[in-house]
Amino acid sequence: MTPAHPTHTLLVVEDSDEDFAAFERIVRRLSFTYPIYRCGDGDQALDFLYRTGVYAEPDLVPRPSLILLDLNLPGTDGREVLGEVKQHEDLKTIPIVVFTTSSNPRDIETCYEQGVNGYIIKPIDIQKLTRTIQLIVEYWFEAITLPYPLEL
Amino acid sequence: MNSIARDRMATLDLPPGDREPIHIPGAIQPHGVLLLIREADLTIVQVSANTAALLGREPEELLNTPLNDLLGAAQVEMFSACLDGDFNSINPLHLMIPHTQQAQRMDGMIHQTEAGLILELEPAQPEEETDVFGFYHLVKGALNRMQSAMTLEQLGQVIVQEIRQLTGCDRVMVYQFDDSGAGQVIAEARQDALIPYLGLHYPAIDIPNSARQLYTLNGLRLIPDVHYQPVPLIPVLNPLSDRPTDLSLAVLRSVSPCHIEYLQNMAVAASMSISLIKQGRLWGLIACHHGTPKFIPYAVRIACEFLGQVMSMELIAKEANEDLDYKMKLKSIQAKFLETIPQQNQHSLINCLISPDLQLLDLVSAQGAAIYWNGEFTTLGNTPGPNALNRLLEWLESHTEDNLFYTDALPSLCQEAESYRSIASGLIALTISRTNRNYILWFRPEVLQTVNWGGNPNQPVEILENGEKRLTPRQSFALWQETVRGKSLPWKACEIEAVQELSSAIVGIVLRHADELARINIELERSNTELDAFAYVASHDLKEPLRGIHNYANFLIEDYGHVLSEDGVSKLQTLVRLTQRMEDLINSLLHFSRLGRVELNLQRVDLNTVVKNVLDVLSISKEPEVKIRIPRPLPTVLCDRIQVAELFTNLLSNAMKYNNKAEKWVEIGFLEGSRELGVGNRDKRGKEDREDGGGTSSSSPSPSPSPPPTPIFYIRDNGIGIRDRHLDNIFRIFKRLHGPSQYGGGTGAGLTIAKKIVERHGGRIWVESTYGEGSTFYFTLQS
Repeated sequence: MTPAHPTHTLLVVEDSDEDFAAFERIVRRLSFTYPIYRCGDGDQALDFLYRTGVYAEPDLVPRPSLILLDLNLPGTDGREVLGEVKQHEDLKTIPIVVFTTSSNPRDIETCYEQGVNGYIIKPIDIQKLTRTIQLIVEYWFEAITLPYPLEL
Repeated sequence: MNSIARDRMATLDLPPGDREPIHIPGAIQPHGVLLLIREADLTIVQVSANTAALLGREPEELLNTPLNDLLGAAQVEMFSACLDGDFNSINPLHLMIPHTQQAQRMDGMIHQTEAGLILELEPAQPEEETDVFGFYHLVKGALNRMQSAMTLEQLGQVIVQEIRQLTGCDRVMVYQFDDSGAGQVIAEARQDALIPYLGLHYPAIDIPNSARQLYTLNGLRLIPDVHYQPVPLIPVLNPLSDRPTDLSLAVLRSVSPCHIEYLQNMAVAASMSISLIKQGRLWGLIACHHGTPKFIPYAVRIACEFLGQVMSMELIAKEANEDLDYKMKLKSIQAKFLETIPQQNQHSLINCLISPDLQLLDLVSAQGAAIYWNGEFTTLGNTPGPNALNRLLEWLESHTEDNLFYTDALPSLCQEAESYRSIASGLIALTISRTNRNYILWFRPEVLQTVNWGGNPNQPVEILENGEKRLTPRQSFALWQETVRGKSLPWKACEIEAVQELSSAIVGIVLRHADELARINIELERSNTELDAFAYVASHDLKEPLRGIHNYANFLIEDYGHVLSEDGVSKLQTLVRLTQRMEDLINSLLHFSRLGRVELNLQRVDLNTVVKNVLDVLSISKEPEVKIRIPRPLPTVLCDRIQVAELFTNLLSNAMKYNNKAEKWVEIGFLEGSRELGVGNRDKRGKEDREDGGGTSSSSPSPSPSPPPTPIFYIRDNGIGIRDRHLDNIFRIFKRLHGPSQYGGGTGAGLTIAKKIVERHGGRIWVESTYGEGSTFYFTLQS
């Protein structure tokens, strides 16, 4: 398999530093080498995707290959980010996996209605968490063929 | 409501024989002549056959001649000017018939019919005083005396005396009709020799509806001689309409043969009746009877009619004056209701209504009352029993439409009421709300009454040879007494009014309550939604730091485990375990809070399948060495499959978990029948069972004689049992009887969830246990 694109990137939208630290720690152990970007809330995430605000310099900001999205965020929350991205003509092809604590059936239903590509409930169990993150990485970055970034 | 008369009407099942066409008899009485005149050119087109005798002209001489020829232009001119106007103001006309030999003076009465004008002429009485002063003289004394009458009874007495004096009739009576049309003589003036009719009742059919209608239209009727020969009209049909001439308003109209026979049977030779009209309806009659033929002059008749009209007007005032004291008392009771009731809420309303402060019974002078509210009766005073009341309510709901129903003869309408007529012959039923089934009933006992009928009222109908029924005039007017059963004193108009007032006051409360309920519902829905959201947010916000603690404790072990002592690592491991336990608790709480809000998906579920699946799942993870017994197949019941599976899971996993015996067993079974669902009374039996059979006896369902059986499911184990003092607590959320490390741990929410599932299905759950020997959890899935 010859990579037709230089690299994949992962955008993690996560407000909890501890959760992100745990995620990063686990993901690095899995020899995940692609760049990981993190946004702490929904507004940052939208700025990142639209390349506005602090992300206005286009060369520094790639289009992410996958977005890992927490739902309960300060400011613009994950549900709004999801809705907006999935209705955006260009951005809607970026796969989004919701990674959240919420097991509320209404959240699950509305996320899928809006076109989420996956919904994962964060476990409280380090083994399960490790296994879950491993599955995400293996599935999305090994098994799946992701859409090519348009501008690269 | 006079049920007696009504019943008779019903059993007679009269064809419209009641509607004998008495308004078009085609003939008149002979004491006057009748001329039908074409309005356009004032030409005579129909005449009575007796013109020669009274006018000196043969009918043929008059027909199709101008009225001018008969009366002269001047007299015709006199009334033709008012033809468009009100005939009452020109009647009677004082006419001279010029062509007769001695210039006959006549009283003329003119009115319009559907085709043409009808002019009736009667010979004027020579001594008649026809001016205004004469009339005044006739009625002045009568008016004075009528005005000084205080009561209806006195008024009736005054008028019969006055009219007897004016007319000189042998007998003058006032008849009053009741709701059903039956009449009663309420006042009478008569010649001493005559038998009194005062107080006698006459059935409604003595006066057919058609006659009543004419009485309403036409205020006065005179029959000077009941033995008269009817005088036919020439030609037979009205040439203007080709139909019989409508004589509804003609004073000379020939009388129905039936009525004539009736009067003859009463030995009456002449009669006059004056209508009493109250608020547009025939209230009664003033009837004058005379033993020999008697012509009552027009002026006297006018005076009588005038007195009748005055009495008609007085009726309203006099009836309003009746029972004035009683009405005042009712008003004051009513005022108290209207003052107190609006301050009540739905719950205090019943207590308020039956409280001695308010006189619910006195409000309508009832002996008993029953209030039906929220599916049960609250009674006051003498009422039928609860079963009878329930059936009466059903009867009312299927037999009445109106919100207010009343009768003084309930047994005649509702057969079952016959059995409690001594308590409830009279009924007022007030419907506050048909949909919510809110009713107030008042009862009056039977009052045995003796009714004096003018002749046996049961036989007024003759069966003809061809099987047809025909109204026949009464043969006998002798007193005929009847004891009336199943009747109470009638409800007075003022009592019914009081009920109506009460009704609107209560309806106000009910409506207000409905509004409040709607508002509370909206609030409840909102707070439920908020609570739901809160449960998720709370669980999320609790879980996030918890996850941090968990992960970091793990990272510490991973990264620094080698530098920590064994004790340090063990403490971190405890920290990790506690975070997991906390998560279990949060999840249980969330699950419990959602349980009450998820819709039940009721379907027929084979519990054998449910139990098999549950056991499959449980045996994967836990206690495979437990022996499961199912003595007989479980039934199929209506329930929510998922929730009931959870119920079995919780109970079975408890039964398997809390067991320290070498040979563990769990029995799943059910009892049939609806034995008393008491927690305590089964306790001893349960112990005995176990003592007898050493806890291994096959479950023998308690014999139950009474179908339909509601299965009582049970899950019995030979586990550690529960001390008596804990039995009440084990269903409380997070109430645990054992330390978290014992018996595999648990959050303490399982039984609370089990209880909620059972209760949502309308069932009950309870436990019996012997400490150290085992427990049995019972539950039903319907009440």
